[in-house]
Amino acid sequence: MIIELGHFAVITALVLAVLGIVSPIVGLKRRDAVWVGVGRQAVTLNFVLISVGMLAMFYSYLTHDYSVKYVYATSNTKLPIFYKIAGLWGGHEGSLLLWAWVLALFCMMAVHIHWKTQPAVMPYLISMQSTVLTGFLLLILFLSNPFERIFPVPADGRDLNPLLQDPAMVLHPPFLYLGYVGLSIPFSFAMAALFSGRLGEEWIKATQRWTLAAWLFLTIGILMGGYWAYYELGWGGYWGWDPVENAAFMPWLVATAFLHSVMVQEARKMFKVWNLFLIILAFSLSLIGTFLVRSGILSSVHSFAADPGRGVFILAFLSFMLLLSFGTLMLRSGKLKSQIEMDSVISREAIFLFNNLFFLVALITVFTGTLYPLLTEALQFKKVSVGPPYYNTVFMPVALGLVFLMGIGPYIPWRKASAQNLKELLLMPGLIALGGLVLFALAGIRNSYALAGLTVVCFVAAAIFRDFAKISSFWAKREQVSTLQGFLTAYKKNPRRLSGILTHIGVLVMIIGIIFSTIYQTEKVLIMKPGEETGLGAYRIKLIRLYGAEGINWGGQEALFNVYKGETLITQLRPQKRFYTVSQTPTTETAIHQIYMGHVFLTIPEVSPDGTWARVRALHNPLVLWVWYGGGIMGIGVILNMLRKSRIKVSAARPEAAGAEVAVSLSRPAREEVLHRSNRWQTLLNAVWPGRKEV
Amino acid sequence: MAETKSPSVGIRGWQIALLVGILGLIILFYKGLWGNPNFIPPVLVGTQAPEITGPDLYQPKEVSLSQFRGKVVVLNFWASWCLECKLEHQNLLAIQKRFAQNPNFVLLGVNYQDKEDLARQYLQEHGNSFEHVRDVKGRISIDYGVYGVPETFVIDQNGVIRHKQIGPIVGETYTFLVERMIEPLLNGTATTS
Repeated sequence: MIIELGHFAVITALVLAVLGIVSPIVGLKRRDAVWVGVGRQAVTLNFVLISVGMLAMFYSYLTHDYSVKYVYATSNTKLPIFYKIAGLWGGHEGSLLLWAWVLALFCMMAVHIHWKTQPAVMPYLISMQSTVLTGFLLLILFLSNPFERIFPVPADGRDLNPLLQDPAMVLHPPFLYLGYVGLSIPFSFAMAALFSGRLGEEWIKATQRWTLAAWLFLTIGILMGGYWAYYELGWGGYWGWDPVENAAFMPWLVATAFLHSVMVQEARKMFKVWNLFLIILAFSLSLIGTFLVRSGILSSVHSFAADPGRGVFILAFLSFMLLLSFGTLMLRSGKLKSQIEMDSVISREAIFLFNNLFFLVALITVFTGTLYPLLTEALQFKKVSVGPPYYNTVFMPVALGLVFLMGIGPYIPWRKASAQNLKELLLMPGLIALGGLVLFALAGIRNSYALAGLTVVCFVAAAIFRDFAKISSFWAKREQVSTLQGFLTAYKKNPRRLSGILTHIGVLVMIIGIIFSTIYQTEKVLIMKPGEETGLGAYRIKLIRLYGAEGINWGGQEALFNVYKGETLITQLRPQKRFYTVSQTPTTETAIHQIYMGHVFLTIPEVSPDGTWARVRALHNPLVLWVWYGGGIMGIGVILNMLRKSRIKVSAARPEAAGAEVAVSLSRPAREEVLHRSNRWQTLLNAVWPGRKEV
Repeated sequence: MAETKSPSVGIRGWQIALLVGILGLIILFYKGLWGNPNFIPPVLVGTQAPEITGPDLYQPKEVSLSQFRGKVVVLNFWASWCLECKLEHQNLLAIQKRFAQNPNFVLLGVNYQDKEDLARQYLQEHGNSFEHVRDVKGRISIDYGVYGVPETFVIDQNGVIRHKQIGPIVGETYTFLVERMIEPLLNGTATTS
């Protein structure tokens, strides 16, 4: 019964979502505030209804209701309770429901947060968000329904894919979806700006925090996926340029470019069309990513059930969204011309332009690489796959360029830099970078990528340090306090800038981690018998014995290794080869020992049937943890950025548009406001819909 | 919306490019839906092996397939960045060891999309007992329809490709390759596969 209740709630949500598309637009057309209000209520109700659907699914998981087909497919009585809940997003149907739920949640939040400050664009926002929601609900209800029952009822479930039975995997999909879906809010604001013709800086200011939040979630999701691949899949690497990884990486690249280029529009009112283009592109790439993953058109380590029927529907929806959004941009872009031309190529706006170009090149690289196999197939060429060398070759120089810009961008003045500025900016960091280069070369680093990367990191670190020292001593002198307090004052004066730079520091840490863990990785793959040993960089590993092992829902073999440094035993490691009985899946369980910030990483991908030898893969990954520490620092930077107090004035106070009326009504007491809501909307609608004049 | 029209209103180049791009993408995706990403066309098996010419990985000489005419050639495509190649590498060495005495057997590695020094470093670490040719321009891989490494081809005495193995030679694949493919070919007892 409960599951039918959930099903019914989601069906109702679909009806309301359609209403949410239509009613705000009808409201605008007929200039009737009641219709817009209906849209607003639909948004809130949709969240409640889809939540009911989610809860019904959770209830079925917890009560082992295997008459629900999806629960049967992704759960099992023996499964730990934590994974029973995560089972909901362990497969295709449930993860789409999660998508829709996050979308409804964000939409409700956006409407409540911005209802007063951005009233003129709200009808469009509701309509746009409801369109996306309708698409997903249609897909859920007609093509991949998690509420479907099966008969006869199986005695037990088929179990959650063992590879997904992992804490990082429980959180990785929700975070990615929070990121993907988070981008829908800035997207809807941009679309609302295009439709309403309110193309100033309002939409950018309103969506800054949304974009930051979406970016943060996306970053966390990607890093968690990397960590999962690293130890659960037993890759020993965190990034494989897999099509599905790329699908998450592409919106991330564009969102990052967007976060940078909006600053130019704020400060200099330039890049207007470009910013609209970027955010539409970012969300479109989220949708394209969903399509690539769900339709199964690319082969990948992420196997979701492929079904051309679903594929056609998602593609139709994707095409509609792409044509609608980019089409609107094309038709409206004529109204957007920056009045300001770039003054000089040596200015902050120019640096931002280069930054965006680099991000775009990176995007095109990944995009081409991901879709190339599809293209060659469509053109009836032979099938090919694009390997890591392609990406690494193109990506390295772009990444270096981007990092280098990080050392200049925040410090170069707007408009035009003088020779003096440039000298100040480049001299000290340049010298330090040069010193670093010599030092690294003397220390025996020969790899050109590593040398170039570390030198650029030195340059940027020096530039950041120089700036920190300068502003700290400035405020220390002015307020007569210590340098450290001076730094805190500087932070309070401009939290946005400094938290942005903290994110840059995180990037530097991550790059150091990436350089060392890939270029200075030691890897051995060999067959070992008990008693044999092998060297691994500065360490030695010795296989002591191989024996059978067993868990609640798996059986398999375990190997015991001694890890030595010189003659001292530093640790014992026990990697496993598991076989999950219910789902009949083998997995490779990693054994990791942390040394400083690096890892000794052991897996046994194959054990002989008689247990006399094992194929061993042993890795030493120096500084690999810096990759995630760097990610953590980036995250803290973004959180600080989001928590700072807004210094932006309520944008609806623009007198020339509808704002004047709204500003007046905003100052009224709340009770009176309710009474006047309808009235206020009427005035507002008259103002934003200038086609007809009231008599 | 009768506002003052700026002279730049109208369809411009970037708008057309964007529209064409989007439509192209949609068509590509649509066509892609009907393909099977895991389908590998069984090309080449039973046909004459394409000629190979390329520099030897170690010595300054050219390697060609025709110089091995009359012998059974096992052609293994690999790269130093390829994880699965490492998994099968010990088995390749075992195959070479097993048939080293037979003058009619050749194991030839084809180094694919790789850097010369990295490839040599790989062999130094994991062991090397047979000859390797570098696929400098990717020509060989294209001729053989290699879509990813490792891939292994078995070519008979007449230069006909008898078997194509996708993925690493481990476990049963190893046994199959050695006992059901290479040995019968060398003994002249092979049936069509």
